[in-house]
Amino acid sequence: MPGKRSPVRLIIALSVAAALAVFLLYTSIAGGGTPSLRPSQLRGHDGRVSLAGKVVGRTSGDAHAAGLRFTLRDVNGIATVPVVYKGSVPDLFRSGRDVVVDGKLTGGVFVAVPNTLVTKCPSKYTPKS
Amino acid sequence: MTVALAVGAVLAVVCVVLVALPFLREPKPHDDRLAVPDEVEQRRLSLAEDRDRALAALKELEFDHRTGKVSDDDYRALVAPLRRKAAEALRALDLRAERTDGERIRTGGNR
Amino acid sequence: MPDLGRAALVTSLLLLVYSFTVGSWAAWRGRRRLAESAQNALLGSFAATLVAAAVLLAALARHDFSFRYVADHTSRELPLGYTLTAFWGGQEGSLLLWLLVLCGYSCAAVLTARRAGREILAWVVPVLGLVGTFFALLLVFVASPFATQAAAADGAGLNPSLQNPYMAVHPPMLYLGYVGLTVPFAFAMGALLAGRTDERWIVATRRWTLAAWAFLGVGQLLGAHWAYVEIGWGGYYAWDPVENAALMPWLAATAFLHSVMIQEKRGMLKVWNVLLVALAFGLSLFGTFLTRSGIIQSIHSFTQSSIGPWFLGFICFITAGTLTLIFWRLPLLRAKTRLESLVSREATFLYNNLLLVALALTILWGVVYPLLSQLVTGQAATVSKPYYNFFLHAFGLPLLLLMGIGPLVAWRRASLRALGRTFLWPLATAVAAGIALLALGAGSSRVGVIAYTFSIFVLASILLEFLRGTAARKALGDSGWLGSFSSLIARNRRRYGGYVVHAAVVLLAIGVAGSSAYQTVRETRLHRGDSMTVAGNRLVFRGYETSMASNHRSIRGLVDVYRGNNYLGRLKPGKNQYFAEDQVSNEVAIRHDLLTGGDLFLIADQVNADGSIDLKALQKPLVNLIWLAGIVFIGGSLIALWPDAREERRLAARYAGATASL
Repeated sequence: MPGKRSPVRLIIALSVAAALAVFLLYTSIAGGGTPSLRPSQLRGHDGRVSLAGKVVGRTSGDAHAAGLRFTLRDVNGIATVPVVYKGSVPDLFRSGRDVVVDGKLTGGVFVAVPNTLVTKCPSKYTPKS
Repeated sequence: MTVALAVGAVLAVVCVVLVALPFLREPKPHDDRLAVPDEVEQRRLSLAEDRDRALAALKELEFDHRTGKVSDDDYRALVAPLRRKAAEALRALDLRAERTDGERIRTGGNR
Repeated sequence: MPDLGRAALVTSLLLLVYSFTVGSWAAWRGRRRLAESAQNALLGSFAATLVAAAVLLAALARHDFSFRYVADHTSRELPLGYTLTAFWGGQEGSLLLWLLVLCGYSCAAVLTARRAGREILAWVVPVLGLVGTFFALLLVFVASPFATQAAAADGAGLNPSLQNPYMAVHPPMLYLGYVGLTVPFAFAMGALLAGRTDERWIVATRRWTLAAWAFLGVGQLLGAHWAYVEIGWGGYYAWDPVENAALMPWLAATAFLHSVMIQEKRGMLKVWNVLLVALAFGLSLFGTFLTRSGIIQSIHSFTQSSIGPWFLGFICFITAGTLTLIFWRLPLLRAKTRLESLVSREATFLYNNLLLVALALTILWGVVYPLLSQLVTGQAATVSKPYYNFFLHAFGLPLLLLMGIGPLVAWRRASLRALGRTFLWPLATAVAAGIALLALGAGSSRVGVIAYTFSIFVLASILLEFLRGTAARKALGDSGWLGSFSSLIARNRRRYGGYVVHAAVVLLAIGVAGSSAYQTVRETRLHRGDSMTVAGNRLVFRGYETSMASNHRSIRGLVDVYRGNNYLGRLKPGKNQYFAEDQVSNEVAIRHDLLTGGDLFLIADQVNADGSIDLKALQKPLVNLIWLAGIVFIGGSLIALWPDAREERRLAARYAGATASL
């Protein structure tokens, strides 16, 4: 039919609008992301955060019983925070490794959410250290 | 070390030869122009693609009809315009072929 | 020896620069011999890169620890296989692999296109040369694999979790995919630069794109399988940035594979196709950038390295160049045909494209969110798994449904009555299956039931396509069912190969739905003699056994599995302790249930000094369908890729006239 405009552009425009609407709906319900922090930035954050740091000092306790206790330090800094964690401990976990764990700072101790401890693979593309 | 040197030398020679090959093969070429389709040729290609598209669409319509994806009514409605389109495309191509042949005869050789 | 390697890389760089600069000049000025010379330069760059690769491989094979790369990534007691595959175990080596594959593909593209018709190569060569130049520059000046040091006595060894056949093969597979997307991109840009309006570039790169896409898909499945059996947390995909880095270009390439079909059949969507192929290529570069630069926090921790900024710069350059080119050639790309109906196969392909691109972009958003939030609010934030899962469901489930709808809809325009008839059987099957599933208790997961029902719908519609097609062919000739079936596929390789690939995707969807929505997880501490139950399996802990191997000490928990009164076998989850690398690795125990396709997955979470074990047990229904899907996927891709002599002849005739008159 002459003069009939192609609906392709309309479809694309509507779909983009629909996708954005879905997206906005999701973020308004689920909120923004989880903040990624270093131990030195923990102060003042009350909610659930993702803490990244280097394990220093001794680790004690049992992650499958009362809880594994260790200390996290800024990867490039001196601020530390004690952590208590329950759940699966990755094999690569040990003092000196960089880890990420979710949790909440409660009374000076970072209480971790179970099974969120992740250790970074110390291999592949690391530069010569 | 000498192995490395030998391999390196061979590689260097091979690469130089590869890059120079077209010039070594034809030091005095009859025609050094890059065969790029000009606008006339582009039109012909476009028409050829239209023709192939129309023919393929007809073939697919037949198949869809036979496998029941397209009802008899739809088939009747769609096949006529497709056939017309295919005929047009074929005619346009023939016309173009005639015209270019005519031009070639007039100019007496390659364009 | 390292000098030879360095010299070979410099040679390759020079040849690539030549093919880029001289190739551009030759294409612009229309100089045939110069253009051929630039093409040959690409061939030469492959030879040079091959020599460089051989030097590195030889150094690895003979444990030459004066090469810093060899010392960093291998050790004397590493088995030969892993010593050789350590080639791509580190940054410099994997860049060299990238360049090698790129030059190899360029070489193949030049040689095959020459047979088909040289004129198409004119502007393709400079684009390939440009991309190659970037990687060669990195290898020569920033990240050389041929750095030397005082020969050490022994090397640092390879991370034990990477000493696994899947991990050995996974990178080259991925690279064949990533790098393979460069070829269609180069041809698309080449066509734009040459000002061509025809579809030659699509016809020429059809098989390339399909092959690259297939390699990328298989590579990801291999990686997922490795994560499942080797890392062993019980899953196969963690939405880690590095995993997403491969998924995003794959999704864009899937969209591209579909939309080129529309351009072929109807001459529409020319601009969209060029944008898509550029997006796929850009995402593949971005993926390489992500895994190398450490800019996004990932458990893979490819920490800060100097090549990050380079990649980012190159990606920006490519993006800017592509957009400029498209904008410049926009008048040429205007389509003559219009979308006639919202209910047509073209329309379903369009919806498919939109969903795929939407999914890829939401994943991209999730991946760069930490960076963006850092820039905007000063505080880095990450998105979590629920984010990815939400959008996977929101966009993936409709995509699944479309896979079943698309093939049943006719081109141009489909009447609703015809649709009703063709949809009847698949719809009825799906509804019946849905009711049966709910009755069996699958209602515990809404998403799971929906996924299963959609999957049944798609499988039914694919089956119907094969049946109807075979019946139609049989009605034409006088061969039997089998003969008609094989001739049906032989004459429509792309279509029916595509259907097989769709079936593979459906199997994947069923496997993923089953093993995530319907899995059972239990964890307890067991002392010797204690038992736990997971999904009807009773697990009894019998104690530990330890043993020594050449490079590690292993400790295994002995777990007997019973179902009712039947003894099913003994599983041994445990840990390996590696001496040289001073690392402990998790060794999971998996029992495959061949009847249900599910797995019983045991993880020895913690070995305790008092002889007890913290055992985590998962029952994952239908998970093996995922790996089966990989095999079906390969089969379908092969069918679609298989050369069709008749079609080749027809296409050759169409384009042969291009140079015949000159």
